[in-house]
Amino acid sequence: MTDSGTPGGGITRRKLAIGVGGTVALLGIGGVAKFAGSEPLCRPPGGQDEEHLIAECLRCEKCYEACPTGVIVTAKIEAGLINVRTPTLNFKLNWCDYCDQGNDGHPLCVEVCPTAALRLPEGATRENVILGTAYLVEDWCLGWQLRGCRRCYEECPFDAIEMDAHERPRVIPEKCNGCGLCENICPSLMAGSYTVGATDRAITIKPVETLRLLALEQAGEEEQ
Amino acid sequence: MRRFKATHVRTLIILLVALVIMVGYVARLDVGNLSTLGYGIISAICPLGFLETTLAGKSFILRALVSFVLVIALVIVLGRVLCAWICPVPLIQRWLPKRKKKAREQMEDRRADLALSEDRQPGGRRRGAARLDSRHWVLGGSLLSAAVFGFPVFCLICPVGLTFATLLVLFRLFGYGETTLTLLVFPAILILELVVFRKWCSKICPLGALVSLVAGLNRFFRPKINDSKCLVTSRGIDCSLCHEACAREGIDLRRPLASKTALNDCTKCRDCADACPTKAIIFPLLASRPTAPKEMVEVRATAATGVAETTEAAEAAERTGRASTTERTGTASTTETTEATSTTETSKSEES
Repeated sequence: MTDSGTPGGGITRRKLAIGVGGTVALLGIGGVAKFAGSEPLCRPPGGQDEEHLIAECLRCEKCYEACPTGVIVTAKIEAGLINVRTPTLNFKLNWCDYCDQGNDGHPLCVEVCPTAALRLPEGATRENVILGTAYLVEDWCLGWQLRGCRRCYEECPFDAIEMDAHERPRVIPEKCNGCGLCENICPSLMAGSYTVGATDRAITIKPVETLRLLALEQAGEEEQ
Repeated sequence: MRRFKATHVRTLIILLVALVIMVGYVARLDVGNLSTLGYGIISAICPLGFLETTLAGKSFILRALVSFVLVIALVIVLGRVLCAWICPVPLIQRWLPKRKKKAREQMEDRRADLALSEDRQPGGRRRGAARLDSRHWVLGGSLLSAAVFGFPVFCLICPVGLTFATLLVLFRLFGYGETTLTLLVFPAILILELVVFRKWCSKICPLGALVSLVAGLNRFFRPKINDSKCLVTSRGIDCSLCHEACAREGIDLRRPLASKTALNDCTKCRDCADACPTKAIIFPLLASRPTAPKEMVEVRATAATGVAETTEAAEAAERTGRASTTERTGTASTTETTEATSTTETSKSEES
């Protein structure tokens, strides 16, 4: 028998089961999503405070629609449950010019975000908003195979790539803001110029966090 | 003259809204999805999403707050319209296969319905006390989980969000050739939620719960019975087709006084108006007087005991005085009326 006669609330056992079950389920999903681990992602301008972005993002996909270059995509579930549908950048599609062409250097993604999940700090400029950092895999690079490719060096808007004496490109991380132009134009996986074992373009933009972890890993290996 | 049933118009509107959102995705129109539908600064934010992100981020975003206030104002003016006219979930549920219920579950359902109608008896609950049910627990759970884990947890599994997310990944699949596990996971979660929980809207949905709470302030377009047309009051027939039509919310319009807050859940879907054989239910801009006078409950009681007698009296009154109603609706309505009577009688015999 259900105790529907409870004065005031009318809480039946069934209501309680659904209510408590739902609450526990939500807490469970929250815990799993939070602690199951997720991949660091390159975020659009204003999304550099990861904790703030995750807290405020409604997953409304407005930034995705507003982006004039189409570099913003929504994160897939492969990037971690907590990241699902949050904005990230796919430099294979295009690169982020900080809306230089589209909106006079004021990123539209920041302007349309209804919850200010994407928000720029005071004094933010194209140069100091770091979306990620270029990362060069020398084995995959045509320049490093001495095949004369200098596309990234020529195109980089921040002069963040230098050429050494043998015409091999090198990234200057301090100058790079992760706009993704180099990744976008890197021909290393195209035009029949495959390098054995290459799974990605030779130059890619990595999230700052990924590079930090990578550096730690390498330091650890060197110590051993 | 009404050719279209409200349910068809609703389906059309829901599909139109989904189409606008889809076109927005494809043409990058900056309309967003239902989490923040709108253009530019004027957008209608999901009120639950707003509360969740506010709790998660522990900060007030002015712009979101303005949008939230706008939505709340809309709910106060229009009531729970969102749930019937915009939200795609009921429509998807109609398309999904129905899970066969076990006998035990059917029994529980019946008990729950009984408990619900008991709740709505006069004296069955404190007057004015908001009708809190399992949805409100889930609402509390959504807010709690957002506050604890620092991100809007419910948004991850919200069927409304998942619907549009699925549409977007489908478009990305065909438009850009992007393959992702998401393509399987999102529809899977969606179907799981809506097939396993057939009563998602009335038992679980925290967004609906939140909107219902605010809809208590709504005074416009509340359903109202025209007593001179209603079979119960004009002819003493024990008709409850409007109550039966209200499958999702289970509101008995004939006895709204029993629970003052029952109408908070009204989504103004107009199914009751369509079900009414004499078209006695209207949704006036502003009800001029309380929706149901007290004596109606008594009339219903008499109707239950002496149907034949009262019907005869009512028919006599109609013949002499205001026969216009029956004449206008014509033969079709008369057949409907007979049908209505027979259905109620059958259901009565089943009960006994």
